[in-house]
Amino acid sequence: MVGAFEQAILAAMIFVIMLGMGAALTPRDFMLALKKPYGLLVGLGSQYGIMPLIALSLALILPVPDAVKVGIVIMGSMPGGTTSNIFTYFAKGNLALSVLMTVNSTLVGVLAIPFLVITNLAILKAVGAISVVIPASNIVITLVLLLVPVMVGVLLRRWNANVGALVELTGGALGVLFIVLLLVTWVPRNWQFLMNTPVSVFACVILLGWLGFFFGYVFSRLLRFSDRDSQTIAMEIGIQNGPLAIAIVVFTFVGPLQSMQQQVMAVPALYSLFIVLSSTALTIWFRRANAAKEQRIPKALL
Amino acid sequence: MRERKNSPDVRLIGDVARLAAVGYGAKTAYSVVMPNGMYGKLSFEAIDALSDDFAVYLREELGLSAGDRVALQVPNSLTFPIAAFGIAKAGLVLVNTNPLYTGTEMGRQFADAGIRALVIVDMFADKLDEAFAIHPIEHVIIAAVSEKMPRMVSGVIRLVQRYWDQSLPEISRPHHLFADALARGASVRASRGIQAKDYTANIRPDDLAVLQYTGGTTGVAKGAMLSHANLVTNVAQAESCFGGEMRPGEEVVLTALPLYHIFAFTANMLLFHKWGAQNILIPNPRPISNLKRAFENHAITWMTGVNTLFNALNNEFWFTEDPPRSLRGAVAGGMALQAPVAERFKAVTGIDVLEGYGLTETSPIVTFNSRQKFRLGTIGQPMPETEIRLLDAEGREVPPGEPGELAVRGPQVMAGYWNKPDETAATLRNGWLMTGDIATVDPEGFYRIVDRKKDMVLVSGFNVYPNEVEDVLAAHPGVLEAAVIGVPDGAAGEAVCAFVVRRDNQAPGVEQLREHCKAHLTAYKVPKRIEFREQLPKSNVGKILRRDLRAELEKAGG
Repeated sequence: MVGAFEQAILAAMIFVIMLGMGAALTPRDFMLALKKPYGLLVGLGSQYGIMPLIALSLALILPVPDAVKVGIVIMGSMPGGTTSNIFTYFAKGNLALSVLMTVNSTLVGVLAIPFLVITNLAILKAVGAISVVIPASNIVITLVLLLVPVMVGVLLRRWNANVGALVELTGGALGVLFIVLLLVTWVPRNWQFLMNTPVSVFACVILLGWLGFFFGYVFSRLLRFSDRDSQTIAMEIGIQNGPLAIAIVVFTFVGPLQSMQQQVMAVPALYSLFIVLSSTALTIWFRRANAAKEQRIPKALL
Repeated sequence: MRERKNSPDVRLIGDVARLAAVGYGAKTAYSVVMPNGMYGKLSFEAIDALSDDFAVYLREELGLSAGDRVALQVPNSLTFPIAAFGIAKAGLVLVNTNPLYTGTEMGRQFADAGIRALVIVDMFADKLDEAFAIHPIEHVIIAAVSEKMPRMVSGVIRLVQRYWDQSLPEISRPHHLFADALARGASVRASRGIQAKDYTANIRPDDLAVLQYTGGTTGVAKGAMLSHANLVTNVAQAESCFGGEMRPGEEVVLTALPLYHIFAFTANMLLFHKWGAQNILIPNPRPISNLKRAFENHAITWMTGVNTLFNALNNEFWFTEDPPRSLRGAVAGGMALQAPVAERFKAVTGIDVLEGYGLTETSPIVTFNSRQKFRLGTIGQPMPETEIRLLDAEGREVPPGEPGELAVRGPQVMAGYWNKPDETAATLRNGWLMTGDIATVDPEGFYRIVDRKKDMVLVSGFNVYPNEVEDVLAAHPGVLEAAVIGVPDGAAGEAVCAFVVRRDNQAPGVEQLREHCKAHLTAYKVPKRIEFREQLPKSNVGKILRRDLRAELEKAGG
């Protein structure tokens, strides 16, 4: 369960994380993306094509409760998380590409997320996999609200590069802190609940990440992206915005749906915890490969 | 020879800062930009005032007197211009020192120059013990990379340095902090009404301003004695070459090359500063993506660089996808600019990279390609008042078109090497500086470097002296003898290649030898390639023939 105080903290954290994401951007980044619509389309296609499909398939195949199916569909429809940028940085991947994909998918997410969530839930309902109906309006409102800090971040950076850099740092740090907060507050208080959660749910959240990595990499390799860019895209696809999913669950599953909240929420919460482990493993692997190929500049004049 | 425009206001190096402060006042003179875009900046007025404060501190608080040597060992940061101008204004001699030097290299240079005070960046202060063992220094002043940045920003940088990078060592030696020194200087200056200008009232333009260390021809590092006149004249010469293209007070120049190197020192810190340009200081351009935010956040109009830098930018997608639209000009020096690199840079940015040629001993510019007189692949034409002769082995001028050793005479040529009369006599003959570079000249007067007479290896603009590397290798117990040559190496120009004959009973491997070298040499001097041989080619008097090794490698195809 999430209390009122925690909800407030959560909202504030999401706000700062999105602010930081905005501060990482210049209008120049948008121009670059628009100049290369192919790359933009590939990014969005993989983000909102591959992950929702994986999520839908998992929801259809795995024997998990309805609420978990709803959770996995929401989780799969999320944009890239800011943590993917941090992991890409440590993996010596293409950081600019990662940031660009995160931002683009977040912006487009305002339309894509409600559409995907509603469509996929309708499919599940149609094939008789679930029996609940989720209103879409709450999801849309949450998303629109989240765009405001992104814009504020962009403006902050333009106004003063120092403030921009500080906000960007803070946002990135909070992204990590968020996971820590989850570990120290949510996990202990929901310990009993987690103990009773079937293994299939754990399998579900872990698989979502790894299947995302795998298909993201294969997809971009097929489109002839370089190895390094493909690794970056793989991480971007596999690492979803967990905090955003939690925020959506918290603000959507209210009133009559409140009873479902804890179970739905288990998916993004567990996903966020396990993706850190998965991404760390992948980062170590990619970093080794990339460090060997880095542009070496002699330690002399430069 | 072109005519040089005189600027009577600038007599000494310190005058550059004074004149620029009068002309450009509150405009930003220096911005230091971190990889994530955090920055700190100082205006022309602030640079002038703070360097006055520092001059007062050095003279009044430390009690240094005119002509004393002060070493400056910091990466590009706001400390550099304050300290460098301050040292000059105090009538002291600036000794530029590479922050990446090992403690032993520092100690040797400090001993040779007779350093009395040192300004060193905190990150490398752990090398002080080793340096002090060779030459104790009376006054150590510690500066931070984040010096003079906004408090919040420098706080974050300090936190990251201390806890994340763990790059701030304990400092075992008594020292003063640069920030305190400035504050102290300011209060002394105000309370006693000191005019920093008085310190240089008796300094003449021909007096020593900078000891710029270089290996020269023989391999032992020597201090080239550059006078105030050498440097300010070189600035004036450069102004007459491409000053017409400059918009005073409007330019923003990328300073990714370290200011302790003579190229950036004269071109960026003196020349561009004098024109009222904003210097964008990059503390560490490695990895090259560290420059991304500088290009994004600042409308960079000019840049100075070496082949390595231009080549690296050519290979960064963020640079090639969206090259800086504000860029108007680029200047290359320090090492030969490779034609494919210049061509690719032009294709990306539309900018011709203007190549110049110079040496530490010539403050440094000797020849330059201006946009009006530009020829790719050449080092351009001589600067105003600069004479060049191409000489054969007997010292006679070679026939037109023939290669010969490039000799230079002009107002920018150094007075000699510090305390090295023999070396000076070998290099300077009747005012002519023997560069050791073999060059040709075409009928239009464009010079082209064809080869180096010296055996020196030029790694990314830095001289590596085979003797020094050979000595270190030979000091390893498992090494019988060693020979070092330069081999062509892509963007870095040359790499150090060592041939080693091992002793019978001990057999160090390539990695062990490299570790050994790393412990005694700065990274760029460490051999990139080590080959083991049964014997080395020698002349009949037993001198190892490096040229035979070179020929052997060439025959083997690299």
